Amino acid sequence: MDNCREYLENLCSYVDGEVDDSVCREIEKHLAGCPDCRIMVDTLRKTVRLCREGKEEPLPEGLKARMEAILEKKWKEKFGKDEG
Amino acid sequence: MNEKELVLAARGGDRDAFNELISNYTDRIYRLAWKLSGNQEDAEDIFQETFLKAVDNIDSFRLESSFGTWLYSIAMNVMRTCFAKRKRMQLGPIEDYMPDHANGANSKLLDWGDPHDLFENEQLREMIDSFLSKMSPENSTPFVLRYMEDMPVKDIAEVMDLSVPAVKSRILRARLALRENLTEKFREKKDG
Repeated sequence: MDNCREYLENLCSYVDGEVDDSVCREIEKHLAGCPDCRIMVDTLRKTVRLCREGKEEPLPEGLKARMEAILEKKWKEKFGKDEG
Repeated sequence: MNEKELVLAARGGDRDAFNELISNYTDRIYRLAWKLSGNQEDAEDIFQETFLKAVDNIDSFRLESSFGTWLYSIAMNVMRTCFAKRKRMQLGPIEDYMPDHANGANSKLLDWGDPHDLFENEQLREMIDSFLSKMSPENSTPFVLRYMEDMPVKDIAEVMDLSVPAVKSRILRARLALRENLTEKFREKKDG
């Protein structure tokens, strides 16, 4: 493959460690001579890393209690009782 | 009780069994709804509607998938309805996200360096959340499930009723689009 575009589909899988050994070797050979594809690999990797670094959105205060009250009502409608 | 026993008990009206089944998913469903909707009001609506529908349909759940996969499928349907009227950013084909740097053309790619040198963590998070909430859910959903919820691709395919290659393609486009969006932000910042 002499066009970097042809590597694109495999670059993500490569970044995620999901390509087999022969494809991995082929990509690494290409990366050794292609600074732009090295940047692409680096930035694709960092894209996911940044997503995973984000603080997890907490449940708003009271939402769980409100949901439990709604579910209790729904459960009674469905099963005619609030406990098994 | 194992999951199958819990499901059977819940189907018979055992609310404690149902509560135990959903206990591992409340935070995750809310987080997913928040990431994909981008606002608390929709996230709360999606969250409540998902669990109400789970109660409604628990007796028709036949254990053909895990409880989690079944619950995520319900959440997907709720979100599909919620987002149906919104205009979202449609992503182009994969080729659109690959700068033409082959065959000796001048590089258009920006070396990010360490993004934390450019923006605070909170700013980076807001950029990512904002972009994902504007993206078409057909792309943002599998991306968020894969990389923020660590769901295997085959499970995403089941939840979204898609083939594995289709899921991989959507994840790839979302990742490339987000990479490009972040690159623009970093370039603007570097150019000052």
